[in-house]
Amino acid sequence: MIPMKTIAFGLVAITAACSQIGDDKSVDRGVNAHHLSTMVAGIWVDPNGCDHWIIDDGVEGYADARLTPDGRPVCSGVAPPNTVIGPFQQGSPIPDTL
Amino acid sequence: MAQPNLNKMRTAIGGLLGAALLAVSLAAPAAAQDSGQVYQPTIWIDPDGCEHWVMDDGAEGFMTPNLQRNGDPVCHRAEICGVMPTDQLFATDRYEIDANGRATLENFFRSANAFGFMIYGHTDARASDEYNMTLSQNRANAVAAVAQGIGARVVDIRGFGERRPRADNTTVEGLQQNRRVEVYCLR
Repeated sequence: MIPMKTIAFGLVAITAACSQIGDDKSVDRGVNAHHLSTMVAGIWVDPNGCDHWIIDDGVEGYADARLTPDGRPVCSGVAPPNTVIGPFQQGSPIPDTL
Repeated sequence: MAQPNLNKMRTAIGGLLGAALLAVSLAAPAAAQDSGQVYQPTIWIDPDGCEHWVMDDGAEGFMTPNLQRNGDPVCHRAEICGVMPTDQLFATDRYEIDANGRATLENFFRSANAFGFMIYGHTDARASDEYNMTLSQNRANAVAAVAQGIGARVVDIRGFGERRPRADNTTVEGLQQNRRVEVYCLR
């Protein structure tokens, strides 16, 4: 049985590690540290058939709308709804096992 | 006689301190809401050339588009792969494309190496806004029809009239630059 104190210490250590992220959120300080501007995206097509940029950046995932010059959704038909295409998992060497 | 008074004072001071601490701890969240916790983003540019705010908070990531107040995304000009000066395609106030123009456009769409196209018509600032909205839409439709005629995929067609000038409407050169059809290539 793991003593309660050990669990508590572990939690404190994790919390402490996470709280060391400062005000600047522009960098992934994880295993493979990199500036966020370098991430590589694929396209996820939503159930309406419209495109979203999708990035699997290791522990973090990002998605955001693909937009026309006047801010409407781009629905390009690049892939069927509820599918993803492109190099969206190439931004990180961390294997995506889930 | 002096001793009990001192104790009383200590109790009072303790009470005040406790109240002060409580006040500080209650006031702290309100103060944090007022000034906000600093969350400094950076910019990620998507393959179309448009900007997104992005933040990595350790285990979580956040992303949201960089929009102007009018809802337009902040994009870089790189995503425009063709600007057709409309003086070469259309007669004044018209939107029919002749055989020469058609051939030029077909050649462009064939060699663009794009998955699809977004086509936007623009005019200069002469004539009314409403008239120009219609004219630019008709011209964008005409260019799109050429693309579709050779089997190209057209994702979006729109006329913006005179509302998105790229040059000064008070000079001859500016007016000419504003009369255009822009083609965005989706790759």
